[in-house]
Amino acid sequence: MSSILEHWFWWLMTMACMVWYSTVTVYVTAKGAADIKSMLKRLGDKA
Amino acid sequence: MSHFNWALDGSLVGLYLLVTMVAGIAVRKYVGKVEHFLVAGREMDVYLGIASLAATEFGVVTCMYTAQNGYDKGFAGAVPGIEMALAMFLVGWTGFCVKPLRDAGVMTIPELFEKRYGPRIRWLAGVVIVLGGLLNMGVFLRTGGEFLVLVCGFDLNAPASGAGPVMAWVSTHYLEIAMSVMLLMVAVYTVLGGMLSVLVTDFLQFVVMSLGLILVTVLILINVGWDRLVGAVSSHYGAGGFNPLVHPQMGWGYVLFNAFLNMAAVLTWQTTIARLLAAKDTRTGQRVYTGTSFFFVCRFLIPGIWGIAALAMLSPETVGGNTLYAMPKFLSTFVPMGLMGILIAAMLAADMSTDSSYMLCWGGIIYQDILAPFRKTAWSDQRGLLWNRMIVALIGVFLLFWGLWYPLKGDLWTYLGVTGTIYLASMSTLLIACCYWKRANNWGATGAILVGAVIPVGYLILQQTWQVPGVDAAGKPIMESRVDQLIGPYWSGIAAYVLAGAAMVVGSYLKPRPQAAA
Repeated sequence: MSSILEHWFWWLMTMACMVWYSTVTVYVTAKGAADIKSMLKRLGDKA
Repeated sequence: MSHFNWALDGSLVGLYLLVTMVAGIAVRKYVGKVEHFLVAGREMDVYLGIASLAATEFGVVTCMYTAQNGYDKGFAGAVPGIEMALAMFLVGWTGFCVKPLRDAGVMTIPELFEKRYGPRIRWLAGVVIVLGGLLNMGVFLRTGGEFLVLVCGFDLNAPASGAGPVMAWVSTHYLEIAMSVMLLMVAVYTVLGGMLSVLVTDFLQFVVMSLGLILVTVLILINVGWDRLVGAVSSHYGAGGFNPLVHPQMGWGYVLFNAFLNMAAVLTWQTTIARLLAAKDTRTGQRVYTGTSFFFVCRFLIPGIWGIAALAMLSPETVGGNTLYAMPKFLSTFVPMGLMGILIAAMLAADMSTDSSYMLCWGGIIYQDILAPFRKTAWSDQRGLLWNRMIVALIGVFLLFWGLWYPLKGDLWTYLGVTGTIYLASMSTLLIACCYWKRANNWGATGAILVGAVIPVGYLILQQTWQVPGVDAAGKPIMESRVDQLIGPYWSGIAAYVLAGAAMVVGSYLKPRPQAAA
């Protein structure tokens, strides 16, 4: 616990990275798949 | 002894490779024009852009140099990531330079320069961008190969073994084989599908890469523990391991150089800009920037923690003289069977997404800007696509040979920073002046390009040629660069940025103003 308090900045940064990665990955995966689908549809329509 | 299991882990890696190759090759049917090949027909939306940018900007090479930073500098080694995240957020939020760049509707930065500084500056900018970019990515393939060989438990300098001459040759050429196989796979889908294949495979690679990064980091935080990580940094580097300003190898020079470098990279790094230019509109491009910004902290800190874990768990004898290898050596015995397959698939994903995008982006500059003066008449899309594909393939060949031939001196991040500065210093100056300074002209642009390139190129040459005896981290006698001892890469890098800006101002004022019409 003392090492967390002593180096709180790096601990917070590390936890923020883990939370960012865990949540953003899931969100971007879902939304990104939809983006690919619509991108390919638009390109197909133009062809 | 590595925990890599060929049946279980090998199957996971094989499955990942199969899905990626099928997806990458499948979208080639949508590529009918050069615009599709280079900027995906400008149809990219925001979440695909975030996934693609994150995957591109995190390769094995990134993982290796950020882990080396963690091993050599402790938590303070992650400071460049924080600086880059800040720069990315500010630029995306304000639209500084990127808004006028995207609004101009160009496919590369030199195209924008032609409108302001003329065709010669466009060509010169293309040459400098390609020179800096290719030297920069020249070490990517080798570093990726080294990671895979080490994490699978093979020795980079193994003596010949195995039954028969073929197996004996294989046993002494693991690195060359790993590099060639990786390059071949990446080249196939990049050559066929261009940016469309890059975007689709980047997306898959982002998912696999993120999964591997999260799982391995959680495992380290649970099994090694925060206290031991902090304790290792404290005992090796003291306060300097947490604060770059008091670290003996870092200080203000390191922080300032990285501030210049990261801001310039955010504004003009071709692979980053390519996502902006492929976005369906300017607002989407800016949202990709702000949405990806915190990723750049993760990009440095997560592998940095892997490097710190290696510092805590491995003896200096196990690591040897090159701290670049500390992290893969640590992971080879730390990550359990099964997870090892996910880790290697994640790192392959990271490497393939980076290599493919970099090959495409530098290839795009060669075609659009360097070869532009040789296209007297407009080329058909078929001819343009053929040339683009040939250029990408040739860049792949360059990567293979440069990676095997170039002897890397110093730490990898610094090498990348110095080679990147060859063009970042001048291109960022040209871009800012082009967007916001009416007096900027081709004299100033020429001066900035020459000064911005001469300083880092001169530094690299001196680093390789002017050497004195010294000792490495393990105490072995080696030859050390004298220019590193005297000036170091950080202050010479800062000088490149400052003097490129000064050359732009001086050159622009020296050129007589055109006479106003009577």
